Amino acid sequence: MAIEQLKTEEFMVNMGPQHPSTHGVCKLVITMDGEQIKSIQPHVGFLHRSIEKIAENRTYAQFVPYTDRIDYCASMNANHAYVTAVEKMAGIQVPERAEYLRVMMAELNRIASHLVWIATFAIDLGAVTPFLYAFRERELILDLFEMTCGQRLTYNYMCIGGVNWDIPQGFEPKLREFLKIFPQKVNEYEYLLTNNPIFLYRTKGIGVLDMDTAFAYSVSGPSIRGSGLKWDIRKAEPYSIYNKFDFDVPVGHTGDVWDRYKVRLNEMRESTKIVQQAIEGLPGGDTKVKVPMTWKPPEGEVFSRIEAPRGEMAYHIISDGTPKPYRIKIRTASYCNLQVLPVIAVNHLIADLVAIFGSLDVILPEVDR
Amino acid sequence: MLELNVIFEAVHRWLEGILPQGLVTLISALGTGGIVLAFLSILALFLVWWERKVSAHMQQRLGPMRTGWHGVLQTIADGVKLVQKEDLIPATADRPVYFWAPVICFVAAFMAYLVIPFGRGLIVQDLNIGILYIIAITTFTVVSLLMAGWGSNNKWALLGGMRSAAQIVSYEVPLTLSILGAVMLAETLSMVGIVQSQAGGFWNWLIFRQPIGFIVYYIAATAEANRTPFDIPEAEQELVAGFNVEYSGMKFAMFFLAEFVNMFTISAIAVTLYFGGWNAPHPIFNFVPSWIWFMGKSLVSVFILMWFRWTYPRIRVDQLMGFAWKFLLPLAFLNIILTGLGVLIFRN
Amino acid sequence: MAGNIIKEITDGIYNLILGLAVTFKHLFKHAITLQYPTERWEMPERSRGTIVLLSDPETGRLNCTACLLCSKACPVAAISIERIKNPDTKKFEPQSFNIDTTICCYCGLCEQACNFTAIKLTGKYEFSASDKSKLLYDMGFLQEIGRDVKYEKREKTAAKKKAVAKAETGEDVGGAPVADAKAESSPGSGEAKKED
Repeated sequence: MAIEQLKTEEFMVNMGPQHPSTHGVCKLVITMDGEQIKSIQPHVGFLHRSIEKIAENRTYAQFVPYTDRIDYCASMNANHAYVTAVEKMAGIQVPERAEYLRVMMAELNRIASHLVWIATFAIDLGAVTPFLYAFRERELILDLFEMTCGQRLTYNYMCIGGVNWDIPQGFEPKLREFLKIFPQKVNEYEYLLTNNPIFLYRTKGIGVLDMDTAFAYSVSGPSIRGSGLKWDIRKAEPYSIYNKFDFDVPVGHTGDVWDRYKVRLNEMRESTKIVQQAIEGLPGGDTKVKVPMTWKPPEGEVFSRIEAPRGEMAYHIISDGTPKPYRIKIRTASYCNLQVLPVIAVNHLIADLVAIFGSLDVILPEVDR
Repeated sequence: MLELNVIFEAVHRWLEGILPQGLVTLISALGTGGIVLAFLSILALFLVWWERKVSAHMQQRLGPMRTGWHGVLQTIADGVKLVQKEDLIPATADRPVYFWAPVICFVAAFMAYLVIPFGRGLIVQDLNIGILYIIAITTFTVVSLLMAGWGSNNKWALLGGMRSAAQIVSYEVPLTLSILGAVMLAETLSMVGIVQSQAGGFWNWLIFRQPIGFIVYYIAATAEANRTPFDIPEAEQELVAGFNVEYSGMKFAMFFLAEFVNMFTISAIAVTLYFGGWNAPHPIFNFVPSWIWFMGKSLVSVFILMWFRWTYPRIRVDQLMGFAWKFLLPLAFLNIILTGLGVLIFRN
Repeated sequence: MAGNIIKEITDGIYNLILGLAVTFKHLFKHAITLQYPTERWEMPERSRGTIVLLSDPETGRLNCTACLLCSKACPVAAISIERIKNPDTKKFEPQSFNIDTTICCYCGLCEQACNFTAIKLTGKYEFSASDKSKLLYDMGFLQEIGRDVKYEKREKTAAKKKAVAKAETGEDVGGAPVADAKAESSPGSGEAKKED
């Protein structure tokens, strides 16, 4: 009897907004044939907070806390994207010490964000312990941040013209301590996961993202570097003072889940190098130039992008000469990366969907803003 | 000295003096069954606490600390909480099926303990088909999981139930075949007989003559007990607890406890078949009671199962099946062939 | 072919045991968690927790001069102030000072805007309430929770510039990280226009 004559039906399953593996409130409507996925339709917008509309009613300085909350796992990078865009538009020159501090904090936050990613990715696959180990290291980074600016998640650290706080007295020894132990901890995660046959079973050859699809859907960040393209905005269009640092950009070969995992793991190591160079070369000086609160930027518009942990975060700001922007458009990485999920997860099983979704490192506040 | 079978035999003889034979048999059967049931309930409580503590310390945290000394009474607190929860039955659930599924799971888990030798003379009933009885009983869990999945009237539960049924049925085959190897060497199906064939010292333990058989048994048994890396049926992250997603309160507690009791069952069988049961590793240590040896070895095996759970990710269901049929099964057959050849050459 | 399979199997077993070794090693390490509430984390000096209003340690009066800068700086409009002119001193005083902590996002822009060290974010965080109305703090409450907060009074910008210039004539300012509150970066001054 042919398969068609058995009259099996495809059935639709809702991986609802509340689910342990959808990294936020994202609804996936999955059409399945048995265990195989035939199509996925992501429904987003559950976390939409109208940040871009709110921006039209806030001054440039007042908008910085809102940028924290666009991607709360990588708040420093989100801040960085916004302030570099505004400074580019107005031609403000930031003191060098502030630039060094910005890069240091941004890279530390990249490490913290990737640690969250490894933790949630491993726990989605069933390995509970790397979650605790990754968060243990993240605590050290968050302690450093708390010491500097008083908060652990949404920092409001950077401002237009520099940074709000200089590093306090006990920061440097603690940072050096962290940089000393961190490479061994990354090796620990590798022992637990990278060559583990069970992990390899779950991630090798799964969710292959080839270059053409990635380009078509504007995938950026580690997701496209896993497919083999060595594109990192810190190297391609250096912003801030990234051209002064010596670091490598890890790439994968096949674009499967394992490659993306490996890319992020190596990125953590590279970020450690950058932070090491930053703390060694930290110059003296001011930490900000004074920018008045009702500062009126020149009329015009700017498009500026940075490399956030999840990919490319870009700001398009249109100013009409008043203290409040006319329009801010935020291009976030997760929104574009999520588009590629229905394409690469077809014909996989639900267990693979969890692995693929995890490997794209999508964070929903970035998607919905 | 502290051999418990002395107490039981004394009580039995005393009863025989007072009551007629039939009544004595009945009372002794019910009594020993009841004692094993009580012991297992306490053991399940202990195992739940131990798992939480082991997992906590592996993750550099503390686990339960407030209820009793270092949280010993935590499981009782959880049990009380579950008992006083509302017994929710989904409106569209298939009531009899939904109700009986946890009961069957629980009963099947406990019935295997009729033939587990806890020590010298400490076995409820030494059936001469002991190990075969256990293999038959552990299959009941499949029925209960299917019932749970179907009776919940929930797509996710159904998926979980079907997956678990497929998993358990697939792993039964290598499990049985690996046990066959040990039985061939012990030349008896009775559990007490298998233990007695390993008496004398650790060099007589069957692990040294059945290494492949042990590995196949251990992996297959982990899959039977739905422990990571084979815990797809309860994969929280994928199916939101799988087949028991619609269960709450005492029914959920039954599934949960049955899992821990199963874990101890497979450890007990591993110890009986491969590690000498209640025998001491060397005749010098015979002063230590046999049940302490048995419990100690079983708890070590339970610890190893917990260790696996908190280290490894889980395997996907189709890879799980492939692993059972394409890797474990040929290995089990190889084991039987080699054991048969060995018996032929070295005993005849 | 067979050699490949054997190598795969031995590699697999080796890596599985490596994973087990990592978790086993951690069994013997100290726990890194705190048993709250018996053990508490010591909040760093710059913690941005609950907002308080600071008072002069000698006179007990609020430092606040009702300049309304913090209210204008707040991005979420959590601060509402009403002011009256004191007939004796001819200076403004806050008549009512309300902070809606259900809206406050703890960004610290109000603290940066204040020139009189009147408002501060502290390391206090245990203010849960079961009634939402209790989370709207009025002036009395803000002053009360601010009484035990140690602070250093920030000088006004012009005076500060003079002091910094004076210090610079004798010594050279090094690149070492600065520690105390006085030398922290100056807040953004100037008026902020904000629609309510």
